[in-house]
Amino acid sequence: MNFSYKEKSLIASLGVTLLIFGWYFYGAFSNLTLKSEPPGFVGIIILVVLVAALESIIQGFLALKSKSQLEDERDKLIEKISYRYGYWFLSACIWFLMAQILLDTRFDHLPVLTTPNGMFHLLLLCFVLAEVTNFVAQLYYYRKGI
Amino acid sequence: MSQQTLADKVGVTRQTIFAIEKGKYSPSLVVAFKISDVFKVSLESVFGYV
Repeated sequence: MNFSYKEKSLIASLGVTLLIFGWYFYGAFSNLTLKSEPPGFVGIIILVVLVAALESIIQGFLALKSKSQLEDERDKLIEKISYRYGYWFLSACIWFLMAQILLDTRFDHLPVLTTPNGMFHLLLLCFVLAEVTNFVAQLYYYRKGI
Repeated sequence: MSQQTLADKVGVTRQTIFAIEKGKYSPSLVVAFKISDVFKVSLESVFGYV
């Protein structure tokens, strides 16, 4: 299968995001209790910067190997449509979490929904999944066509 | 003419020319006019609505 520079770059970004945040969330959610300490904000910022830096390094490396790095109208259109999917996913997550906070649901006993620490990690997970949705949608449109 | 040459003349990527040829992307009017201008033919002879 022949991949373009943009597709390789998207796959690399998706891989880095899934790997680093997957490792982070595995640790965060497996240690979550009702008395969990709030997460260190500086740690989260470092994590996000680390992901962005790794993505930039990989994209720069791929750009060196590729002759054509130009972004044209098709790339912009695919990016625009994919961001819309990410936005809808994020909106759905936020509405779901708001409903969990306000309504009495069957998940009320779970620490992830009752502690600020758990809710913080769920919100962060929503942002990461929205980004993943954006990457997957872009890859889909590059393959299928638009 | 190679896809890369046409892409350079029109100002898009080779992948976009490939996608247009395969019918996976409908270009904007600007790009469509540029392609017909490169081949010095009318727009209708390059693109058709199916």
